[in-house]
Amino acid sequence: DGEKKKRKKRRRKGAHRAEEGEDEVQTRHERREREKRRRAKNDQETSEEEDDKEEDSKDEEVRPECLTPEELEKLKEAVDERKKLIQSLRGKPWPMKKKLVTLRESQEFVEKYEGALGKGKGRKLYAYKVMMTKKWMKFQRDFENFKTACIPWEMKIKEIESHFGSSVASYFIFLRWMYGINMILFGLTFGLVMVPEALMGRPYGSMPRKTVPRSEETSAMDFAVLWDFGGYAQYSVLFYGFYNNQRAIGWLKFRMPLSYFLVGVGTVAYSYMVVIRTMARNANESGVGDDNSFNFSWKMFTSWDYLIGNPETADNKFASITTSFKEAILEEQESHKDDNIHLTRFLRVLANFLVLCCLAGSGYLIYFVVRRSQKFALDGLENHTWWERNEVNMVMSLLGMFCPMLFDVISTLENYHPRVALQWQLGRIFALFLGNLYTFIIALMDEINLKREEEKIVKFNITTWEASLYNGTISENSTAPSITINPADVPRGPCWETMVGQEFVRLIISDTMTTYITLLIGDFLRAVLVRFLNYCWCWDLEAGFPSYSEFDVSGNVLGLIFNQGMIWMGAFYAPCLPALNVLRLHVSMYLQCWAVMCCNVPQERVFKASGSNNFYMAMLLVILFLSTLPAIYTIVTIPPSFDCGPFSGKNRMFDVIHETLESDFPAWFSKVFSYASNPGLVLPFILLMVLAIYYLQSTSKSYRQANVELKKKLQTVI
Amino acid sequence: MVSGAIALAFLPLLLTLIIRYRYYFVLLYRAVLVRIWKDCITGVTREERAYQYVLTHATPGDPDSILEAFDVWCSKVEFISNIGPKKGKILDRLLMEQSPLTVLELGAHCGYSTVRIARSLPLGARLYSIEMDHRNAAIAEKIIRLAGFDDDTVELIVNPSDEVIPRLRSDYNLERLDFVFMDHWKKCYLPDLQTLEGSGLLGKGSMILADNVLFPGAPKFLRHLRRSGLYQWKIHRATLEYSKGIRDGMAELVYQGVK
Repeated sequence: DGEKKKRKKRRRKGAHRAEEGEDEVQTRHERREREKRRRAKNDQETSEEEDDKEEDSKDEEVRPECLTPEELEKLKEAVDERKKLIQSLRGKPWPMKKKLVTLRESQEFVEKYEGALGKGKGRKLYAYKVMMTKKWMKFQRDFENFKTACIPWEMKIKEIESHFGSSVASYFIFLRWMYGINMILFGLTFGLVMVPEALMGRPYGSMPRKTVPRSEETSAMDFAVLWDFGGYAQYSVLFYGFYNNQRAIGWLKFRMPLSYFLVGVGTVAYSYMVVIRTMARNANESGVGDDNSFNFSWKMFTSWDYLIGNPETADNKFASITTSFKEAILEEQESHKDDNIHLTRFLRVLANFLVLCCLAGSGYLIYFVVRRSQKFALDGLENHTWWERNEVNMVMSLLGMFCPMLFDVISTLENYHPRVALQWQLGRIFALFLGNLYTFIIALMDEINLKREEEKIVKFNITTWEASLYNGTISENSTAPSITINPADVPRGPCWETMVGQEFVRLIISDTMTTYITLLIGDFLRAVLVRFLNYCWCWDLEAGFPSYSEFDVSGNVLGLIFNQGMIWMGAFYAPCLPALNVLRLHVSMYLQCWAVMCCNVPQERVFKASGSNNFYMAMLLVILFLSTLPAIYTIVTIPPSFDCGPFSGKNRMFDVIHETLESDFPAWFSKVFSYASNPGLVLPFILLMVLAIYYLQSTSKSYRQANVELKKKLQTVI
Repeated sequence: MVSGAIALAFLPLLLTLIIRYRYYFVLLYRAVLVRIWKDCITGVTREERAYQYVLTHATPGDPDSILEAFDVWCSKVEFISNIGPKKGKILDRLLMEQSPLTVLELGAHCGYSTVRIARSLPLGARLYSIEMDHRNAAIAEKIIRLAGFDDDTVELIVNPSDEVIPRLRSDYNLERLDFVFMDHWKKCYLPDLQTLEGSGLLGKGSMILADNVLFPGAPKFLRHLRRSGLYQWKIHRATLEYSKGIRDGMAELVYQGVK
């Protein structure tokens, strides 16, 4: 697999160099393709050439009719030997020129005599078979090329990698991977939830839940209302409330509520599977041997990043390797004297205390703002300015942007090694985002409870209203009390699920907008100012303050991870979220690629990204777990609203599974399932799985220990 | 209009800026605010005050003690943009290695760098120091004579550098400059360098040392260095004089000659 990758890289490099006209070293495959083309042409010509063999001066011996069987055997052996030589050529310790000459000769030999090996009639078939195998191999290689070319944004990322090093490029690779996941989630929600309801469900305006209420109709098309996802956007397939609870819709008898529930569960399950699979794959590649021994040897031989293609980045990398050597030497010297350890410990405790203060402050600020927004909501939202309505989102985004910078500055007190400092920094930013998110969710829970209280009152009001309607009509006509009331006039119950979905969508939009605006102002505007004001400013803006900004890999990765967490949280209540996220990631990719190449300079300390990969995956897993918790809690404990959504009328949302089992499956199936879900069976099964995990964990630990022992033995031998 | 909570959310940003750029704030305080305050109180200029201090705290005839008195005054009392002890060590080392016979200094200011260079000169070498401002030149003259360097070693020229350099060959009979030290206005670095190139006073191997190329910075000068190809250049990275956290650099150029 590694070989294939190397071949692909070399082929691409070869293509580039051919473009620039440097034909000094040709890759074997370019030449092989040219050989193939020539061979294919030759194969077509050999059939014509059989009559013109006298003209070909090279073909003295190739007259299959005049070869004895022994000579044929010998010829066959020679051809096989040449083929083996070609295959093993790469491993031979010869100089390159000799290898190329041998390769060319052997290939010519094989080509000339292979077609001649078949006997009589079989000869043409044999030649045909040989030609087909060669064509098949060529097709396979072209297909591999095509597959590589189909990977989106590959050239862009390679260019960024050559300018900025592998750590910045790892962010973009991570972004692309997230885009893939979100595409799948989008496919699931769009194809199985939104499209069926749009095509086969009842249309807009046919039911109360699908219509804009009369009181909101005048403002339903306003841009401000639509931007806040109210009005027509709210009463559409984008949100939970639009869906009807009819068991089967359309001529396909599509089970809409079941599909909604299963898609919700399926998105989470798929996400878990993909993240754990990627973590397992990364775990195999890690463990390069970052022991504490042979520090300087490792630094000397493994520091260079071979993917750098830009002279300025190479200079930077050179300078940073020099700096890291100096630092390592200082560290060695300092580790021998440790008289300041009390001061260091005190400073570290102080730094942690300051960080805790900052986290507590930010948590309290968000709590305060959320309480205020609840007060505003009670007063009626129209009385307040745009700033006050969007206070929560703005404060969350601003804190998420500014507190990490403060943590970075505080961490200079601690005097850790940069990699350790980075991990502390990531941990703190993680705690910040998590605290903010959970404060937000607690606020949402309060609102949900409010709405459920409201629901009871509305239910009572609706029954009285319907009673009054019926009383009114029966007095007129006793035959068919067909009441045609416009769905827009029916009094509506509050729909807490749609409200939750709307809140998440608004949060994500405001987060996205904040990110883009920060990018434009903090990076682009700053770069423009530095570049053009430098001609008339007293100090050198490029070398001193403010200079061009660097790309903050960890901050961006965390932002991406948390954004995904919010998607996972809200996707059940707003099926439009994966679609929104796909759009957002797509735009982000282009915008950030452009911004990085245009406004950022390579970091002064360029260090490898490989160690952090699994760290980011682990964080993603934790976020996945923590973000699906609230959604699962609401599904399991809170009864759905009584007049909106696909689960209206049920006691709990997961009752749809029971219903399906009872009505759609044969009787024996539901009996089997009821036996299988018996606690007496489930508990031993869980116990068995726990034991299996314990066993696997202990065997992997023992393998790892064996590995370490072997490494030690190698060191003592060498 | 904008609520207090949003304003409060900007507090971490403010704290970050203050902590990250604290050295710049300290420099601003020392170089600008204290100077204005002292000017208002005492009525004499900063250089005068420095001269008074050096006069009272240094031994005449001893360049080392004069330099040390200057350093103490600049670190503790006020701030003057001399070359400072750390960068001064780089200057001393380069002078020892180069052993120039004819040295040109652009921008003597108080005379600190003049004394520093004159201290490390070999026997028979001569230093020409150019200072534009008359009052500063008067103080520099006093300090140089206090250090014990007579007219054979150090000559102070009181004129703007762009007027003096074209006349160096005719008025002072200079054939070649072995070492040039630039520490005057940063925006004059490039014009003066080009004038020097044009005057033919630079020979192969002449060294030019330009101070403060990173802070406050001379971007056009650096750009010219990189593009012209006439010099083998290196930037010595250090910190700004008398300040710990502000990065600065000195550019060392070795003239290669026109190819």
